[in-house]
Amino acid sequence: MIDLIFLLLIYICIYSLLSMGLNMITGYTGLLSLCQAAFFGIGAYATAILTVYAGWGFWTALIMSCLITSAFGFLIGLPVLRLKGDYLAIATLGFGEIVRNVILNWDSFTRGSKGINGIPFPVIFGIEIKSSNLYLFFAFVFIFVVIFYFILNRIVHSRFGRALEAIREDEIAASSMGINVTKYKLISFCIGAFLGGVAGSLWAVFFTSIAPDTFNLMLSIQILCMIVLGGLGNNLAAIVGAFIVVTAAELPKLLGFSSIIPPELNQILFGLILVLAMLYRTQGIMGKKRFIAEGNPNKERAVER
Amino acid sequence: MSLTDFFQHLINGFSTGCIYALIALGYTMVYGILKFINFAHGEILMMGTYGGFYVYYFLISKNSSPSYMLFSFFIAMVVGAFISAFLGVFIERIAYRPLRRAPRLSPLLTAIGVSIILMNVASLLFGTQPRRFNYPFDNNPFSILGVNITPHQMLIFFVSLCLMFFLKMFVDKTRSGKAMRATSENMDAASLMGINVDFIISLTFAIGSALAAIAGILTALEYKLYPTMGTMAGIKAFIAAVIGGIGNIGGAMLGGILLGVLETLGPVILGIPQGLKDTIAFLLLIVVLLFKPSGILGKKEKTKV
Amino acid sequence: MKKVQILSLIMAILLVGGCAGKKESIKIGFIGPLTGDAANYGKLMTQAIRIAVDEFNANGGIEGHPIEFIAEDDEGKVEKANIAIEKLIKVNRIFGFVGAVFSSSSLAIAPRAQQNKVIMITPSSTHKDLTSKGDFIFRNVLSDQLQAQVFAMYVYKVMGIRRVAVLYLKNDYSQGLAEDFKARFEKLGGVITAMESGQQGDKDFKAQLTKIKGTGPEALYMPDYVAEMAQILEQAHQLGLKAKILSADGYSNPQIFDLAGDLADGVIFSNSAEEEAIKNPVRQEFEKKYQEKWGVKPDSFSLNSYDAAVILIKAIEKVYNESSPADREKLNLNRDRIREVVAQTSGYNGVSGVITFLPNGDAMKNVGIFMAKDKKYTQLGVYQIENDKLVEVK
Repeated sequence: MIDLIFLLLIYICIYSLLSMGLNMITGYTGLLSLCQAAFFGIGAYATAILTVYAGWGFWTALIMSCLITSAFGFLIGLPVLRLKGDYLAIATLGFGEIVRNVILNWDSFTRGSKGINGIPFPVIFGIEIKSSNLYLFFAFVFIFVVIFYFILNRIVHSRFGRALEAIREDEIAASSMGINVTKYKLISFCIGAFLGGVAGSLWAVFFTSIAPDTFNLMLSIQILCMIVLGGLGNNLAAIVGAFIVVTAAELPKLLGFSSIIPPELNQILFGLILVLAMLYRTQGIMGKKRFIAEGNPNKERAVER
Repeated sequence: MSLTDFFQHLINGFSTGCIYALIALGYTMVYGILKFINFAHGEILMMGTYGGFYVYYFLISKNSSPSYMLFSFFIAMVVGAFISAFLGVFIERIAYRPLRRAPRLSPLLTAIGVSIILMNVASLLFGTQPRRFNYPFDNNPFSILGVNITPHQMLIFFVSLCLMFFLKMFVDKTRSGKAMRATSENMDAASLMGINVDFIISLTFAIGSALAAIAGILTALEYKLYPTMGTMAGIKAFIAAVIGGIGNIGGAMLGGILLGVLETLGPVILGIPQGLKDTIAFLLLIVVLLFKPSGILGKKEKTKV
Repeated sequence: MKKVQILSLIMAILLVGGCAGKKESIKIGFIGPLTGDAANYGKLMTQAIRIAVDEFNANGGIEGHPIEFIAEDDEGKVEKANIAIEKLIKVNRIFGFVGAVFSSSSLAIAPRAQQNKVIMITPSSTHKDLTSKGDFIFRNVLSDQLQAQVFAMYVYKVMGIRRVAVLYLKNDYSQGLAEDFKARFEKLGGVITAMESGQQGDKDFKAQLTKIKGTGPEALYMPDYVAEMAQILEQAHQLGLKAKILSADGYSNPQIFDLAGDLADGVIFSNSAEEEAIKNPVRQEFEKKYQEKWGVKPDSFSLNSYDAAVILIKAIEKVYNESSPADREKLNLNRDRIREVVAQTSGYNGVSGVITFLPNGDAMKNVGIFMAKDKKYTQLGVYQIENDKLVEVK
């Protein structure tokens, strides 16, 4: 049982990196992005291809993967970030699906649906961090989470962070106050992508085999669920959210009745938790009640007399 | 590629497009009024289709005459439409209405939760294996100058055209339609003018969902019936609606057909695997969003300061 | 007062007596998709395994120890498969399991199974590298390479067909078969007029079929799953594509008759052979049993699952009988020994064919060529490859 718990903790750590990244984009800057899974996938595949086919070591592959993922963030962000609200969400959704579709079909490069396997384990000071040693691997990924938690918190509690929040609350006002909205949005987006890259690399070396199916729209939506359930605009909440989502999904296994009830019930349970959470606790576990990411258009209209 | 092949591809794409258009009609109606992407639309479609399926096979037997089969099919469509309509109204009432003034992420996630629940409930109730909803008529193709067209394809075209026409008449000419347009413009003002906004929204959901069921049944004749049939249908139809102009009825038709044709012909002309048609679909989406976010037939929305 | 006391005493005795009589269960597992798009495959397989487990338990299990079957859903995803295997191994302490269904999941969990000395027999994962992950990893599915090659030779030599178009799905199973078929068919001198692909879950293949029609093939090879093949059959008909339809063991799923109706008839496909030389009609008996219990007929992967479960349970039983009474009591069974017994499976007359495990863990089976007609499958012949030539096995 302990092993199962540590396995889930590893998942939570990796997902936390993803949710903290999305939190930067959606929670702090107020941009609804539905392509976090795509950044995750790009990071994972970059690491996989570099280590398996180009023989790179984990650490160099990690850095390169993050740079590649941020580059994608930049390239997609440039045209897309000037769209508003739902349109931005849809565009990022489109980007996410394109990435998955291309990975699946570009056989010669990504091996398509067969995926890439045989990804080597990372090595620190001569010690191999194998995924068979769950405790060691957990410590490994946990360190990443802690490091990035502090880095992100510093970013957020700075002029930059405050600018992001200003953009979230009212883009036009922020712009008239002299904030270069486009530049800040882009940077925030790239940071979110960067974290996706980190998470992807860790994922690749943990599973040692990756397939395109993992990096789909449903995952992007799950990550969104994590930050909303945890409470938007708070890095700790993003981690809590990851914890909630993973635990809720695997509760039946943890409590031992997953093989007794029909498997559909597992999913229905998750769906119910989601609906009930939205109906009765919109702000998530740790959110502030008044928080509004993009504003409700009907409300906005009513005000703008 | 021969000319015959080209025209065959064109017809194939066109008929796929009509399917998208049919489903998009329902989507676009709801979004037009509530500015809300109903992620559960695909599942409402699926439920109504199952309803129609059971009704149809309850009514007919091996010895039914062709006219009786057509008649039963018609009844099945009506029942399916009602089932979806009720389901749509019910879901709106308990899951979306309480969140009308909430931050826009909440109804989005609730819709996703509803979608997960419905999909798995269907899986439990109806089983996971795909079912065949047989044509109520002989679907033998006609061959015109080497190009094959089936009666089914012609039926879909005809039905989508009719429904689009009736919907437009309804929205433009009737009082309820006018009320819908008013609510879509400004919900609070409409309410102040004496329009029962709750009723109008329920009506919108009812009509949109009913349309979805009809689309679903017609689609299932060729694509079969299974619990996850709502997902892809939902996404593609959504792209169609956005491309054509979300909230615009004619746009749904135009967007659907455009999407179907480009998605089918694209890979053929470019010489890439057909699997990449999704990439083409999403690229088209992003391009439209970048150059005319309101869609081809949509009205340009002004941002007031 | 006294009555209550006597009653409680009786209850207590019964309770203790009842508990003492209950023996700890021997657990085996399953990992595969039970929800999501591929849910149906997993369902058919678990149903087959349940029949195996019920049969053993009807005979008292293994000396009174009931066999407990624990099925976990991996939703067809690697990350869920990982959680499933961890739970089965660490929480449930299984001796072995049938799974996974998709190669990507199997590849991910094989190292875990190997590390923990848990027998893994996959009924459907055909990725080439899988069984090399360890000696606890077995595969009870007809090797794609063998199947495709035998079939290519059959189509060329016995059917005399020279021009074939291929429509495959982008997944391990289908793509592997398509590529191996193409390689062998071209080596023989045949022509592959088109190599079109779609994705698992696609419903519309008209674009690919239109392209294929334009190349004028004599036959269409579709080594896919029934859901997609039903669509292909219907749409080929709609487009007026007149070609002989060929397929692989995926076609053995009787759902194809429900989904494609009359269009399913006349299709010729390869599958693990029904060995008529052995007079035991085990396959037909099993199919009848399955149909009675579950209301649908099993597909080839379910047959593989059933055999895998039986082989596993029998191996556990054998090692149990070899163990000392003390070990039997605590179910302290030698896992290496169980592995040995499984690995020694040779000439086993299973419902999915005659099974012999090769040293690397793959199953050695003969290939049968079948034709579908009137909701039935008829075997046309049994073949093997010897010295790179097609040989009919009589």
